[in-house]
Amino acid sequence: MIIPRIYSIHDQAITIEFSQTIDEQINMQVIAWQHEIESNPFPGFIECVPAYSSLTIYVNSDCNIDDLKNHLQKKINITENKNHFNTFSNNQDAKTIEIPVCYDSEFGFDLPWLSNVLKLSIEEIIQIHSEHIYRVYMIGFIPGFPYMGVLPAQLETSRKQNPSLKIPAGSIGVAGKQTGIYPAEIPGGWNIIGKTPLTIFDKSSESICLLKAGDHVKFIPITKKEFDQFQ
Amino acid sequence: MSITILKPGISASIQDLGRWHYQKFGIPVGGVMDKFSASAANIICGNEVNEAIIELTLHGTEIVFNEDAYCCISGQGCTAYINDTKIEFDRLIKIKAFSILKTKPKRYGCRAYIAIAGGFHLNKIMGSVSTYIPSSIGGINGRNLITGDIIHFTHKINKTQKDNTIQISENDFAYANWHINIAHQHNDSNETSIDCIKGPEWSLFNESSQLSLFNTSFTVANDSNRMGYRLEGNELSLIQKQEMISSAVAMGIIQVTPKGQPIILMADSQTIGGYPRIARVCSADLPKLAQCRPGDVISFNHISENESLHKLSGLQKKIDQLKISVEMTNR
Repeated sequence: MIIPRIYSIHDQAITIEFSQTIDEQINMQVIAWQHEIESNPFPGFIECVPAYSSLTIYVNSDCNIDDLKNHLQKKINITENKNHFNTFSNNQDAKTIEIPVCYDSEFGFDLPWLSNVLKLSIEEIIQIHSEHIYRVYMIGFIPGFPYMGVLPAQLETSRKQNPSLKIPAGSIGVAGKQTGIYPAEIPGGWNIIGKTPLTIFDKSSESICLLKAGDHVKFIPITKKEFDQFQ
Repeated sequence: MSITILKPGISASIQDLGRWHYQKFGIPVGGVMDKFSASAANIICGNEVNEAIIELTLHGTEIVFNEDAYCCISGQGCTAYINDTKIEFDRLIKIKAFSILKTKPKRYGCRAYIAIAGGFHLNKIMGSVSTYIPSSIGGINGRNLITGDIIHFTHKINKTQKDNTIQISENDFAYANWHINIAHQHNDSNETSIDCIKGPEWSLFNESSQLSLFNTSFTVANDSNRMGYRLEGNELSLIQKQEMISSAVAMGIIQVTPKGQPIILMADSQTIGGYPRIARVCSADLPKLAQCRPGDVISFNHISENESLHKLSGLQKKIDQLKISVEMTNR
């Protein structure tokens, strides 16, 4: 068993690093601890930030950070010994969300390049990408950007050497072992293969993000016509 | 009641103490860069420390007060004038309608804060009015203030702003008859020493980089902003090049790019980062760091984690003490 490492990243924030890997089991552990802490908040607790293989906890001056570290270390030793969180399979909140994607080359402008590099036809890329169910590992980089994985090995590529200056909101990208959705128009280095008509980040809505860490995503291919009817 | 921005100056934006509870959606905390000066200005005005405030970067701002108001300016980076009379910082000031507050250049410091007693009327987004420009969130239309912006405020007379404490005669403004000495930590120069704790990836850096961090100085680069301070100086490098798995980052983290350049993450830092973190700034020194401007020279001083926590509780006590002093003065 890997012993989690606990360290400060600020005088009022600590990180529990479960490992240095991108691994579904580890990420499930991260989300399990997030739910455990959020549902039993202690005095001074502000918020949790889950990442691939670590969980960061922000507190205010009502919390003694040394006590918190000791407390968490003990709790982790007990629960991890019992394998309590390792057997944890699915949290109640986690959903499987279907996301319609138009893989038309108008939106998926990197498909021809990918097809060449991956030695797969565009149809094969679309089929592989949309057949798989992805886990949302974390949300970050920019507000609402979901890091999802694990991408089937046949679709693995490196990032672009020269990032695109403008990637439209809703674009679906792949990079390394990951796939993601651009929540807003920004520059980016992922290879773009399609676009969803859904709004995945809305600062004025109550839920703000369509997805959260721990959710599952299934991409549903739609035609250009269906995409247009969504608007 | 309102104020109108005649000139924003180098830059001016609405902030508070940040947008908490949404980092798991990738939304930065943001908020004021110098929490101490911003809190001081609000406390002097009798406001809660988290009340909306205008953050000014350097100088050149001009604001007209459309009605009488009680205000306070705190921080550094500029000098301030009301209708061409120089005013003191950290004082409760009653300002007459149609008076103009202007800021002019100063040799050191970077950010000043204007608070108004009663606070500004602004819509909160996700619990905060802080302006976060990359996502157009908060403040006025999610952007910096521009000429012509009108910001409304509540004129609230509480015990802190008893009218009898300030007599305005024919002048355009007057000070409250009390004065509390604020123990700011800003350096009155362009050189600053900042206390740091070793970061999570400290041991991955080679010895010469570890020595460079604490024994050489760094210059704040021109492309530094509210997201981060890029530093120019000795190149810092890892013993062995390696890819990191991204995890949460916070204000004050000193991360190092693959090219060896250190970047200190500031208020608008993204929530998650993937560069190795050689050190982190003692949270109590973040206000002092926020007052550094491009071109300023920073040297880092190594302290322990306990010393850092001790310094932070000292700073918190100072803020609590200031609140008590202001209440006592107005009793």
